[in-house]
Amino acid sequence: MLLTEADARAVTAKLLGFVKADDAVVFIQSEDHSHLRFAANTFLTSGRREGTTARVTVWIEKRRGTASTTDLRDAALKQTVEDAQTFAKLAPVDVEYLPSLPQQIYKPSLGWTDATARIDLPARARQISDAIAQSQKAKVIGAGFHQTGLLANASATAHGNFHYERRSIVSLGMTARTPDGGGSGYFARNHYDVAQLDTGRVARESIRRASESLGARMLPAGSYPVILEAQAVADLLDSGGMSFDARNADEGRSVFSLPGGATRVGTQLFDPRINIAGDPWRPQLATFVASDDGLPAQPMHLVRNGVVESLRYSRYWAQQKNKQPSGPFALIMEPSTPGVSLEEMIKTAKRALLVSRFFYIRNVDPRSASVTGLTRDGVWYIENGEIKYPVRNFRFNQSIVLMLGPGNVDAIGVPERVASSEGGVQPVLVPALRLNAFNFTSQSDAI
Amino acid sequence: MIRREFLKAASNAVGAVALAPWMLEREAAAAAEVDAVKSALAEAALTRAKVLGAMYADIRINRYRSEAIFTRERQVQNVARNQDFGFGVRVLVNGTWGFAASSIVTADEIRRVTAVAVDIARANAMFQRKRVKLAPVEPAVASWKSAFEKDPFDVPLDTKIQFLLALNDTALKTSGVSFVNSSMRWVNEQRFLATSDGSRIEQYLIRGDPQFTVTAVSRETGDFQTRRSLRGPQARGYEYIEKFPWQGDAQQAAEEAVAKLKAKSVEPGRYDLVIHPTNLWLTIHESAGHSTELDRALWWEADYAGTSFLTPDKAGKLRFGSPLVNIVADRVQSTALATVAYDDDGVPAQRWYLVKDGIFVDWQTSRELAPLINREKSYGCTNADSWRSVPFARMPNVSLEPGAQDTPLDELVAGVEKGILIYGDGSWSIDQQRYNFQFGGQTFWEISKGKVAGMLRDVAYQSRSTDFWGACDGVGGRSTYELNGSFVDGKGEPGQVGVVSHGAPVARFRQINVLNTSVSMT
Repeated sequence: MLLTEADARAVTAKLLGFVKADDAVVFIQSEDHSHLRFAANTFLTSGRREGTTARVTVWIEKRRGTASTTDLRDAALKQTVEDAQTFAKLAPVDVEYLPSLPQQIYKPSLGWTDATARIDLPARARQISDAIAQSQKAKVIGAGFHQTGLLANASATAHGNFHYERRSIVSLGMTARTPDGGGSGYFARNHYDVAQLDTGRVARESIRRASESLGARMLPAGSYPVILEAQAVADLLDSGGMSFDARNADEGRSVFSLPGGATRVGTQLFDPRINIAGDPWRPQLATFVASDDGLPAQPMHLVRNGVVESLRYSRYWAQQKNKQPSGPFALIMEPSTPGVSLEEMIKTAKRALLVSRFFYIRNVDPRSASVTGLTRDGVWYIENGEIKYPVRNFRFNQSIVLMLGPGNVDAIGVPERVASSEGGVQPVLVPALRLNAFNFTSQSDAI
Repeated sequence: MIRREFLKAASNAVGAVALAPWMLEREAAAAAEVDAVKSALAEAALTRAKVLGAMYADIRINRYRSEAIFTRERQVQNVARNQDFGFGVRVLVNGTWGFAASSIVTADEIRRVTAVAVDIARANAMFQRKRVKLAPVEPAVASWKSAFEKDPFDVPLDTKIQFLLALNDTALKTSGVSFVNSSMRWVNEQRFLATSDGSRIEQYLIRGDPQFTVTAVSRETGDFQTRRSLRGPQARGYEYIEKFPWQGDAQQAAEEAVAKLKAKSVEPGRYDLVIHPTNLWLTIHESAGHSTELDRALWWEADYAGTSFLTPDKAGKLRFGSPLVNIVADRVQSTALATVAYDDDGVPAQRWYLVKDGIFVDWQTSRELAPLINREKSYGCTNADSWRSVPFARMPNVSLEPGAQDTPLDELVAGVEKGILIYGDGSWSIDQQRYNFQFGGQTFWEISKGKVAGMLRDVAYQSRSTDFWGACDGVGGRSTYELNGSFVDGKGEPGQVGVVSHGAPVARFRQINVLNTSVSMT
């Protein structure tokens, strides 16, 4: 059972009541998660997990200790507080200590619907059964994952702050493969409102892509113009390859660092049409509006018209540098000019590879935000505005910063809500991109 | 019994630790309180499941304790200790799985959650297309403790903090070192499994993951380089800290991080590689560990982790590597992370070959997977990372066997005209069918005419799994063998984090493609 605001208020008050330390922050996360997984055109696992975790951080003479528990009985909560206090007494002084937050003002979050919380089991089973039936009819093998997550977060501090918010999310991702293993297609969408999740579209798109990727040709590795679908852009941007962390940049260990201790803030690093922002109140995103310690989110621009406008600051580093701390961040990439539809991008492309998804993206060189990874589940060759044929997968090695740099971005699409196919359901709002060059370094046999 | 051993250990430790004695006593008391009723709680679930129509059921009542200490330079960033306790019930109704879990461990809640699991299974069973069948297993009643000598939860916190700060201090003394991050994580799993087949199994596991990263920044050029600790996590107690020369590695890491700033950038091309076990473990994991998972071969992981180039018809036929390549799956190896006495199906831990004399010969299986390739028994690869997670097929320890001759590293290097010697794991990536991979490392040393020359940087090797293992023409001996591994091996939907070790000797691979990974920002 998800904790209500009244429940959360009672538990946080109880925890703070046990605290004898100088300062404290308590954080409670309550979860009700259910899933249905399918593969080989049959159901695999299906389950539900319910639980609450309470975490306490205390400071005694600026010495910090943290403890957590999943047991909400009074004795366990008291013990958890005492554990944290014991660790604090043993720890050295926390030189980065800042007093916990006083009462903050929060703009209400949006990401909850009761309908998502009320999904019933037979209806879900029927929906997924329908997706499998579509796969069977199309003579492909379907695999996928439907999940519903309900989360309630609450934080409270010894200085009087309290915050509670809920979030619902429902998602379906599906991979369809032709029985001979020669074609594979993927599609996934998620939303906080179950009414906005079109499970039929997810099934149709993955099946279509599987069929249309059959008979892929092997092209030589090299630099190609590409059209990256929004899913592929989300996979790249959410890979951690390009961190906007201010402290790393100031310390000289980031792509945003410059020789002599300066940073790239204020420089035109990206195409002038590119904006990168964070805003959890965007209706299409609607994510959490406070961090675990209660710090409220702030709408912010990291990149405006291609210029690095700001970096992200922790509370400590913000105080050191006289900046505003950043709070939680929900990634948005959007063009300054009207977005171009994916169909239009294809139609106006002279020559390009259309990439639907990336896989296993890992940092290679943090000095240039370079990552490696592979295309997966659908690459197609486009010539003179038409998709000509499917192409076998590639490995790439590519700097994300240079990829988005002036001169390499040809067209920017309309932002869509997607989530990294490797990163779960944390949504981002990103567009498809048409790029002049993308560095594919070897061929992959994988389909 | 495991629990009694734990109580004894805690009691003995009280006088020796800086932690308040009451803390250990309370933990022990809380655990004992559950111990006393654990069997009864399990019966509540199994009886309820049977009454509601389940043909099979199991319950895991698990407690996880973890401790983590994070430092940077001369300060402690955080000290955290966590308790995570709950249960998960798995039922099979009409050949369809249902699972439910809760952190409230009472008989009433267990009965309620068991009914939720049955409801889920029943709702899905109406639309199920293939019914689940389980390979048989002999019921077991057992208790087991992993091979640790010194329980890290009994070691004073201050001792651990001072150890990490001393590591940092060692590194910071080297001119040119700018930053050091170090951490230590300890996990204790107290698992209890009861199945409707009659198994009652208790297991007590300890694992540790100490690590550090040294960073050297050149403010003049804007360049920076890192060198991470070479050794990985192990299923050892605090003796892992005390017996391994961590301070020496910190000193060496500091010197190497600074040296990397001025090292020669590699010329891309084909090289003979001599790969140290601190790097090779990850290549084994990705190319041999994941490709031999039967669930991947059957496309069960198609939506996320991927499938495998090893299709079910290839066992016993496909040449995976050169005849020197023998790869073994092992859940009984002492101090290895995936070692247990029984898996989460109640199947005893085993050891078997995946690749023998270069030929791919066998799979990793579970009770659910084994019948699908007409096997009568499971190899015992089922695992869940938490009480709240659904058990499913996870990787055992997968290791490259050392050669029959005790060939040392120097001898493998001596046979190389133009090559690179690689230590430590770096960047890693492989495709969804486990063909094409690319791996970095921590340090790279040019080999010229059979001798190690200067340091290189910006190196990544890229190959195809069977080409790479087929190019193996030298395998070091037992004296070069090391266990390394991962605390964070992700798989499944919902995603779970596995722990797994990979043993390897040093090994040599001929004519592998090497990339230069540096990219100019100007």
